[in-house]
Amino acid sequence: MTQEVIVLGMTVVLFIVLSIALRGFASTGNLLSLVRSVSVLGVLAVGMAVVVIGRGLDLSQVAIVAVLPAWVLQRLGQGVPTSTAVLSAVGIALAVGLANGLLVAFVELPALFSTLASGMLVYGLGRSLLLERSFVYVNPGHEGFLAIGQANFLGVPIPVWIFIGVAVAAHLFLSRTQRGRFLYAMGDNYEAARLSGIAVRPLTVMTYVLSSLVAILAGLVLAAEVASVNAQIFTSTMIFDVILVVVLGGVSLLGGRGSITSVVVGTLLIGVLLNGMVIMNFDNNVQNIVKSIVLLGAIIVDNRLHPRDEETARQGDI
Amino acid sequence: MSFVEIRGASKAYAGQLAIDKVDFDVDLGEVHSLVGENGAGKSTLCKALAGAVVLSGGTITIDGKLMKFETPKDALDAGVVMVYQETSLVPTMTVAQNIQLGKEKALNRLRGLYIWGQQLLSSLNFHVDPTALVSSLGAAQKQMVEIARAVFHEAKVIIFDEPTATLTPEEKQHFFDLVANLKARGTAIIFISHALEEALETSDRITVLRDGKNVITAPAKEFTRAKLVQSMVGRAVTAVERKPRKPVGEKRKVLVVENLSQGTMVKNMSFSVYAGEVTGMSGLVGSGRTETAKVIAGATKRNLMHGGMVYLDGRAVRYRVPRQAVDDGIVYVTEDRKLNGFYETMSVGENIYLSWLASKDGRGLFVSKGQQRKIADKWKDRLSIRSVSKDPRINELSGGNQQKVVIAKSLVQKPKVVIFDEPTRGVDVGSIQEIHEFIRSLAEEDIAVIVISSYLPEVLAISDRILVTRAGRVVEEFTLENATEEKIMYAAVH
Repeated sequence: MTQEVIVLGMTVVLFIVLSIALRGFASTGNLLSLVRSVSVLGVLAVGMAVVVIGRGLDLSQVAIVAVLPAWVLQRLGQGVPTSTAVLSAVGIALAVGLANGLLVAFVELPALFSTLASGMLVYGLGRSLLLERSFVYVNPGHEGFLAIGQANFLGVPIPVWIFIGVAVAAHLFLSRTQRGRFLYAMGDNYEAARLSGIAVRPLTVMTYVLSSLVAILAGLVLAAEVASVNAQIFTSTMIFDVILVVVLGGVSLLGGRGSITSVVVGTLLIGVLLNGMVIMNFDNNVQNIVKSIVLLGAIIVDNRLHPRDEETARQGDI
Repeated sequence: MSFVEIRGASKAYAGQLAIDKVDFDVDLGEVHSLVGENGAGKSTLCKALAGAVVLSGGTITIDGKLMKFETPKDALDAGVVMVYQETSLVPTMTVAQNIQLGKEKALNRLRGLYIWGQQLLSSLNFHVDPTALVSSLGAAQKQMVEIARAVFHEAKVIIFDEPTATLTPEEKQHFFDLVANLKARGTAIIFISHALEEALETSDRITVLRDGKNVITAPAKEFTRAKLVQSMVGRAVTAVERKPRKPVGEKRKVLVVENLSQGTMVKNMSFSVYAGEVTGMSGLVGSGRTETAKVIAGATKRNLMHGGMVYLDGRAVRYRVPRQAVDDGIVYVTEDRKLNGFYETMSVGENIYLSWLASKDGRGLFVSKGQQRKIADKWKDRLSIRSVSKDPRINELSGGNQQKVVIAKSLVQKPKVVIFDEPTRGVDVGSIQEIHEFIRSLAEEDIAVIVISSYLPEVLAISDRILVTRAGRVVEEFTLENATEEKIMYAAVH
């Protein structure tokens, strides 16, 4: 039994319990809003998972989510065409991802520190050079832009479609393409991958670029959903939620383990949990406590089921 | 009545019996060797005695008292110390601190500690500085610290798990002197060893385990090497068959290394390697063999200014990354498969397939399950990689089969130069034989093969030509006809 299956089991049990206990929980409307509420988180987590599977970490995601969409909205307000505003933000995100990748792969800095620093740099530069104020609204007349956060397609909100699209694309990339398989190899054993002729450094750069691109996408969807951006979310616990979802499903921070399915399952568990707690009117602190207990529980169960020492002790000599 | 008596010991991992009703005993002042292939149950038996593993059945009696070991500390209190293969010392602490580790006084004065440490170490005749950091010591000196720790803990029983695997010949000699010293003090010593010659030479009794069962226990002088091997594998093992060598004139030079220098380990290394020939590289640990191999295979970049030259088929090459070397047909089979040889989360098939994808032939966009099966099956068959299930995780294989996968991973890339670094380290006797035959078969396919090995019988068994390295240089070259263990050793040391 894998952690993925355990988390899926927990989700199902929780779902059944909440459906019985809470009136209105199992209605179609609530379920759609449940998935919709975690779509942005899920998209970010898919990007993070790609980095983590390659034994990296990207803490700068949230800086992109906070600063670049705010800049896009500000420029929309100044009358810049939507495509220009969006594409220039995507360009900057690309540059940030490239810089992260180069720092980790070629300068050989630890991912934890380099992306922490680059995230703070992006936020600081963005706030001082690009943004006039930290809270930016969408001005009237940009319904096209708002649609990516608010419209429905076939009765399902666009953000949910975007989550599905990103997840499916990432899944196909990881499981069907050579680069995807190489990423697992690199996360499992970097030096073994390098020695066998895998181009590990370009591969590393690619993961950070993907993560940044996914982050600007998630940020724009979020901005359209609420028709505004508060750049202060950089200082929220958002990045920890993303890591929580990634780790919860069984993508190990050691690299090489886990899959996009596990990220989706982790996202759903958090969605069910948050939705239930919102309906039950739990306050933010209690929500955080519950989230942390769930994370600890999932990791402990995984450890019990896969005692790594026994496994390593068995190889070679018995 | 022996000092330590183990009766009917059994231990199951996930339903599989690692040891099955094993009887074993050892007396004070006795050296008792445990030999057997990988997976025969040697380590499990010893770990049970050291309290690291709890038996599922059977009894352990020490000095007539029935023991129930739950943790290593229980065993330590009863006077049993196990010295593990991967040393259990704390590298950032000094020698003296490591010796006392776990039994420190509440208040300790460093100066007093070092004086005490010096006294203990010199009473054992160990030349180790008690104030030195363990990370700065060599393998043999670490071994000494481990032994000093065992003595400090007043061990009556010391278990050594492959103590000589990482030692140089002189260090080995020194180590055996220590063992004799301990034996004279009346310590019971258990040896787990792959080196059969050493077991025959140093022990009083030898026990052979096979598939978790005690096959035979007898005084060492009743054994010969052939008899030991036969009890270990359950069949007679023959020497590698060799076809006659090609005359010198027909040989084609593939790789030429000229005055290669790298760091402090490699100084003016020069040699040539020919197609269709196995070139053995013998020498002490630290004589620059692995470092040279890594430069040739692109794992470390050759110095541009003072690094010397490497020519492949007459063309000067200098690789930034291993990928370029792989493209040119040079592969390196690592000496430490767990560290950088394979992907532990993946199956045997995936391990081999991924290497193929990384080679020139395999490069593309997508992966294919069918292709993976085809390639993996071909290589599993060629190297007779055995497993219970169809495509098992590589972690589930024995050391010998894992090594075969690592070799397959390199060979699937269609190399013209293969560098094997200690190809049979930690590999069972049966697989050693198969790997040797495979390496010979590569030479017959006109591949240039380099085998780095510290194990002289191995070098002599498979090489056509033997290079001896010392202090970063090739100091001597032997043809097979005039090479002997003594000559090689002499060249390596003097």
